[in-house]
Amino acid sequence: MSLLDEIVSAFADLDEERTINLVKEALEKYPLNEIFDACRRATDIVGERYERGEYFLSELVYAGHIFNRILELLLPRLERERVSILGTILLGTVEGDVHDIGKNIFKAFAEAAGFKVIDIGVDVPPQKFVEAVKEHKPDIVGLSGLLTLAIDSMKRTIDALKAEGLRDKVKVIIGGGRVDEYAKNYTGADAWADSATKGVKLCKELLGIKE
Amino acid sequence: MHYTDFEDIAEQRLRRIEAAINFREPDRVPLNLPLDFGFRARWYGITTYEFFFDYEKAKKAIIKTATDFPTDFPPSTIIGSGLLIGFLLKDYPEIAPLFGALTGPMHDILRDKYTRWPGRELSPNAGSFQFIGGEFMRADEYDKFVENPSEFMAEVVVPRAHQSLERPGSAEAMAALIRAALEGLKYIKFTDSLINELAKLGYPSANATALTLVPLDFLGDYLRTIPGVLLDLRRKPDKVKEACDALMKNLPYRTFTFKPISSIMIPLHLNEYLSPKLYYEFYWPYLKNIITSFYNRGIRCHVAFEGRHDAYLESILELPKGWGVAFFEKTDVRKAKKILEGHTCVMGGVPPTLLLNATPSEVEEYVRKLLEEVMPGGGFILATSAPIPAETPPENVKSVIRAVEKYGVYRR
Repeated sequence: MSLLDEIVSAFADLDEERTINLVKEALEKYPLNEIFDACRRATDIVGERYERGEYFLSELVYAGHIFNRILELLLPRLERERVSILGTILLGTVEGDVHDIGKNIFKAFAEAAGFKVIDIGVDVPPQKFVEAVKEHKPDIVGLSGLLTLAIDSMKRTIDALKAEGLRDKVKVIIGGGRVDEYAKNYTGADAWADSATKGVKLCKELLGIKE
Repeated sequence: MHYTDFEDIAEQRLRRIEAAINFREPDRVPLNLPLDFGFRARWYGITTYEFFFDYEKAKKAIIKTATDFPTDFPPSTIIGSGLLIGFLLKDYPEIAPLFGALTGPMHDILRDKYTRWPGRELSPNAGSFQFIGGEFMRADEYDKFVENPSEFMAEVVVPRAHQSLERPGSAEAMAALIRAALEGLKYIKFTDSLINELAKLGYPSANATALTLVPLDFLGDYLRTIPGVLLDLRRKPDKVKEACDALMKNLPYRTFTFKPISSIMIPLHLNEYLSPKLYYEFYWPYLKNIITSFYNRGIRCHVAFEGRHDAYLESILELPKGWGVAFFEKTDVRKAKKILEGHTCVMGGVPPTLLLNATPSEVEEYVRKLLEEVMPGGGFILATSAPIPAETPPENVKSVIRAVEKYGVYRR
């Protein structure tokens, strides 16, 4: 098994220390793109195991944590080396909601999948999303929220994008424990997800990226 | 309404609820519609900031919504979040209820770090206060915690979690606690008068009188944060187990009234996060033990199974029959009703997101179809699966009420 394959299997099995040690080793030998690719393959497996009911949310949180540790190791090189990205996601928890666990798991999985994620925090007012869309020109806007009350904030954010003529320039995905098809229709989003792995899969679909 | 009228209505509602809980068919399916604080504030025409920081306005808003949207269950009379100190005072029942709820004014006094409020950290019209928790115990402090949980929480966690209590024994900290107690007294008087006024509207006092948490949720909410406790489960499972056992020995709970506890609320958070291996080792044995020991003391549990609990429905059958009420959020209540038939009363069924965007007749049709499947045999209470947010069209809320009155009838 190549070192990269070993990373994939250790990461997918959530063996934290082994994964970290292997990544440290790989840093000496491989271009960043290939290490990222190994992370993508590993989180794909984690996602599949989650969809199959072998992994649960606790495993997703843990995988997100492992990826964040890997990212810390890669960061110094990331500044020098270009890596290819699938697209840019502007991400935030909508106004009135200050929860971020779901947002942070999604962020880790999206980054592992190869997206560039710009995280603008929690309790983000619609106008701030509008300004950030103008500034960063993302492909996708990800609106996160835990509480039912966040759903109306999501709608108001999407309405604000419409009012500024920005809605057609981006895809919008809403995410969180309480969003569903009804919430998608109400808010006018393009997609909804109640798990990080489903969210990442949908982001790829929204951009027409084939698996 | 005459005096006897509202007593009759309350009696009828209570009978309806009791029948459902005891697997008899009531006259009709009981209805519980948890309107969230934001909905109540908006309907009455005030901001949520005013609602949370002015008890009189909150009372009027609750009375108005309870009048205009009548259901079988009284609105929640707990206008606040979970105050950590309340959990530590359960051996002092003569004062514990003063610290039962963390209200807006109480947040100002204690300056806790684990909640956020409209008009303070949030905009004055934010839908509700929010509990966010915090890491008030470090990962390397499990041993100290296990040695004496109450002492560790009182002496280490409380000062870390409340800015006003940062220096225990200081004049500032003493003043804050005394002011908090006085505020608590004001709040208790408010809830007492609210309960009296609700009684005049025919609402039985059917609210839970205390609240507790499964030890792992307690760790997640107040000590380690949810991601923190999930990492600890990987890195130091033995320590987590010891902490859960230590919490279990002297289970913390908060009380909301000076009367003896009659029913206890247990909101579950980490249930849907855990794999079966973790669930059956770190969660279920504790939850089962808590429910069973309260049941043996004649106290009924109201358990909110947050998120998806589908994977663990069968285990509920291990509890004594008629132990209480199981409220489901994203679990399919049809499936739950089938599995728990004749054993556990099931509550839930209507996603509040449906009410946001549907027409009143679509809502009615949804409720009709659902009731057709789940009402036979009793043991079912219709409720929205989460609080109804402010922007929900009121006509859709009314449509749920009408639909239950129309299709939820067992006998005329």
